[in-house]
Amino acid sequence: MHEEGYKKRLADLLAMDFNRRAFLKGVALTGFSVVGGSVFGTDFVRPSPAMAQAAAKRGGTLRVAWLSSVDFLDPHYTAVTAGVQMCGNIYNGLLKITYDGKRVEFKPDLAETWEMPNDRTHVFHLHKGVKFHDGSECDASVIKWNLERVKAKESASPHAWKLALLDNIEVLDKHTVRLNYSKPYAFFPVAMNGTTGRAGTVVSRQAVEKFGKAIARNPVGTGPFKFVEWVENDRIVIARFPDYFEKGLPYLDRVEAKLMTEASSAVAAIITGEIDGLTTIPFQFAKQLRANPKINVYTQVGGNYLFLGMNCAKPPFNDLKLRQAVSFCIDRKAVIDQLLFGEGIPAHGPISPPMSDFFEPDWSKGNNGQYFDLDKAKALMRESKYPNGVECDYVAAATYTGELAGAQRNAEILQGMLAKIGVKANIKPFERAAYRKTLIDGNFNLFDYYWAFDLDPDETIYPELHSGESWNWGKWNNPEFDKLVEDARVTLDVKKRKEYYGKANRLVADQAPYAVIAHVNEFKVFGKHVKNFNPIPAELVNLGDVWIDKG
Amino acid sequence: MLQQSAKRMGHAAIVLVIVAIITFTLMRLIPGDPVLIMLGGEYSPEVYAKLKTQLGFDRSVVYQFFVWAQNLVGGDLGYSYIAHERVSKILSDTIPVTIQLSICSLIVAILIGIPAGVLSALGRNSWLDYLGMSFAIFGQSLPSFWLGILLIWIFGVQLSLFPTMGYISIREEFWKGLYHMVLPSITLGSFYAGMIARITRSSLIDVLDQDYIKMARAKGVRKRVVVSRHAMRNVLIPITTITGLQLGMLLAGAVMTETVFQLPGMGRLVATSILNREYQVVQACILIIAIMFIGVNLVVDLLYTLLNPKMRRA
Repeated sequence: MHEEGYKKRLADLLAMDFNRRAFLKGVALTGFSVVGGSVFGTDFVRPSPAMAQAAAKRGGTLRVAWLSSVDFLDPHYTAVTAGVQMCGNIYNGLLKITYDGKRVEFKPDLAETWEMPNDRTHVFHLHKGVKFHDGSECDASVIKWNLERVKAKESASPHAWKLALLDNIEVLDKHTVRLNYSKPYAFFPVAMNGTTGRAGTVVSRQAVEKFGKAIARNPVGTGPFKFVEWVENDRIVIARFPDYFEKGLPYLDRVEAKLMTEASSAVAAIITGEIDGLTTIPFQFAKQLRANPKINVYTQVGGNYLFLGMNCAKPPFNDLKLRQAVSFCIDRKAVIDQLLFGEGIPAHGPISPPMSDFFEPDWSKGNNGQYFDLDKAKALMRESKYPNGVECDYVAAATYTGELAGAQRNAEILQGMLAKIGVKANIKPFERAAYRKTLIDGNFNLFDYYWAFDLDPDETIYPELHSGESWNWGKWNNPEFDKLVEDARVTLDVKKRKEYYGKANRLVADQAPYAVIAHVNEFKVFGKHVKNFNPIPAELVNLGDVWIDKG
Repeated sequence: MLQQSAKRMGHAAIVLVIVAIITFTLMRLIPGDPVLIMLGGEYSPEVYAKLKTQLGFDRSVVYQFFVWAQNLVGGDLGYSYIAHERVSKILSDTIPVTIQLSICSLIVAILIGIPAGVLSALGRNSWLDYLGMSFAIFGQSLPSFWLGILLIWIFGVQLSLFPTMGYISIREEFWKGLYHMVLPSITLGSFYAGMIARITRSSLIDVLDQDYIKMARAKGVRKRVVVSRHAMRNVLIPITTITGLQLGMLLAGAVMTETVFQLPGMGRLVATSILNREYQVVQACILIIAIMFIGVNLVVDLLYTLLNPKMRRA
C-alpha cells in the first residue's frame, strides 16, 4: 500500500471527533475562543496564525497558578500532569497534538514532514536551523540520541515502554531520521508527541552532558519559552525564547507559574486579578467562576475515567459475582452530583468520549456495560459466595482540595453505596507515599482511582489492566483481554482496532475488575483579557500562542 | 558569666545531637518509600532498583547516619534529590521568608495581645474585660487556615484592601513587603495574641494585688504610672518567657498560613519534604529550627537578667 495511505490511516486512527453537543449537555461553556461546535464534519475554522498575529499584542507577563506539584522538568522522567503541562512550553517533540475545537490530531512539530513508507517505518524530515535554548543545534543525530536516552536501561526512564517496539533509529542525513519498528505500532503518534508522549520529547544533548540528571531543574529544550528559574515551593518562571523556530511566537514575554496547593487561595487571586489563569480548579468552584463576567472557564470531558478498583487476586473480590454486584450498586449520577458537583458524565466502560474512534455513544448509555441497578446488584450478591454480605478494606489517600485519585471523599461516598448490598467497607486512610506503596504491594481489597489525560485506549487500559503490567494493582488476569489489547496495539487498521477495543471494553465492563464510575470534566481558567488560549483535552496548558489584551 | 555561657553551649550541643538522631530515625520509620514517590505513577521494578542504588538507600541506616553527620560537621547540609539542589541553597531561600513572617506575626501578637490584656485586667469583670477575653479565646480557637481563607475572602476579594497572596522581602521593598505581610501576620499572630492577652491579664491582676502596688497607690502615685512603671516590669517576665517559647512554635508551625497565602517558607518546605520523604531536607530543617529555638531561648534568658535584677549575678 503506498505510503500516503499508511500515514492517512494512522492519522485518521488517532484523530478524534468531539461531539460537544452530546457530551457537554448541561455544562455551560463560556468564551470558547475557537469556533467549532456548529461546524460538523467539514473543514474546521480556526484563526490562522496570520489572522491571530494581526490582532495579537506582543509582550506582558502571564501569571498562572499551577495547581498541582511539578515533579521534574525532564520530560523523559516527568510523571505528573503539572510536569507535562510545564514541559509543553519548554520542549517540542517530533509530533504535537493539535485541536481545533472538534478534532484532535497529531501533526509534525520539530519535523517538517512525516512519512511512512510502510507500516513499520517512520521517516521525519526536520525543520532546518532549529536551535535549543543553549544555542546548540537540533538535528537528526540529536533526535536519535534522545530516543536512545529514553530507551536505554541505564536511564531507567518510566516512558521506555513506549519505545519497546522501536528496533533502531537511522540518521539518513543531517535533517532526516528514520525510525524502524519491529511491528506496526498504533500508539506511535501518542508516544512521539512532545507533551503527553514524553518518549518523543527532545531535550538538549549538550545540556544533559553538562547537567546530567539536574536537567530536571535546568530544562533546556527547543520550545517557545526558555527556563529562567524555579524557586522551590514558590514559582517557576519561563521567558520568551527569541530564536524559536516558529517565527513570531511566542507573544508573551514571560510566564510566571505560581506553584500553589491551596485552590481557594488561587480562586481568590484570580477573582481579584492578582493572577491571570489557573491550570485546574476543584469542581465546587466551577459554577462560581463561570458566573464571573471577567473570567473564562474552558470545560470539556477529558480522556479519563474515575473508578472503584478491586483486588482480584485475593478474597473476597476474586469472586466474579461479587465484583459484578459492586459494579451495579454504584449510583453514578449521585456520585457525579455529590463528588464532582455535576461536572462529568456516567461511564459504562473505561473508554471515554475523546477517543471517538473507539467510544460508542450508543452503547454508552442505558443498560449497557456497567450501570446503576440496585436490584440486579442485590441479585448478584445472592449468587455470589457472600450472600450475607462481606467486610473488606478500602484504602484512601490524604489529598489536597481538588485532587481526585484515591481521595477520602470518594471512599466516604462509595462506602454508603456498597453498604446497601451488604459490602461493609472499612476506610483506611494513608498519606500519599504510604498509599502508593499499599497499592503496589497489593495490601488492599478496594481502592478508587482516576486515569486521566489519555487520548488512546492503548494508554487507558493496557498498562492498567493487562496482566503483569505495573499499574495493574488489582492484579486482574484475563488472557482474553490480554490478547485483545495486544492485538489492538500492533495493527493500524482502525476497523480492526475498534473491534478489538469494543470487545475489550465490554469484557472489562462484564468481568468488572473495575467498577467504572464517571468521565470527568477538565477545566482551564483564564481571565477574559487572556486571548487565544486553545485548550487541548489532554490537560495541556500550551501558552506559545497566547497573548494578553491589556487594552 | 563566661562559665555560664559555656555550660549553655554544651547543653545546646547535646540537645542538637539528640534532635538529629531522633529526626533521622523517625523519618525512616514512617511507612512510605522515597524512591516510590520520586517515580510517581510510572513505577516499574527495574527503574526502582536503579534509583534506590543511585540514592544510597540500599546501605544500612547507621552507615547513612554517619555519612550525614560527617557531612553536616563539614558544613554540607545535604542534597535534595527531588529539587536537584543543595539543601543549603534551598534553605537560604526559605529561611528569610519564615523569619519575616514570624517576626511580623509576633509583633502583631504583641501589639494586640498586651494592650488587650492590660485593658481587660484594668477593667476587670466589665464589658471591656469580656470583650477582650472573647477576642482572645476566639483567636486561640479559630484554626489558622480557616481564619486565613476568611481574611482573604473578606479583605482581599470583597473589600480589595489587601493582596491575597505572595511574598515580597522587606529587605527589598519595605512597604510593599509589609503590605503583603498584613493578612498573613494577623492569621498567624491571632493565636498568640490571644495567648498573650490572657497571660497579660492574669499576670497583671496578680501583680496589682501585691502589697508594693498598694503601697505605691497609697503614696499617691497616679494609676497610669503605677501600672506602666511598677507593674508592667513584673508582668513582662512571664510574657517574655511565653513569647520566647512561642517564637519557636511560630517558626515551625506556620505551615497552614504559608500554604494559604502562598509564602515559600520553611513550614511549607518541611511539610512537603515530609510528604515527599526528602530525608535530607527534613533533617536539615528540623536542625535549623532547633538551633533557632535554642537561640531564641538564650536571648530570652538574657532579657530576663535585664528585666529582673534578682536574676543578675554580681
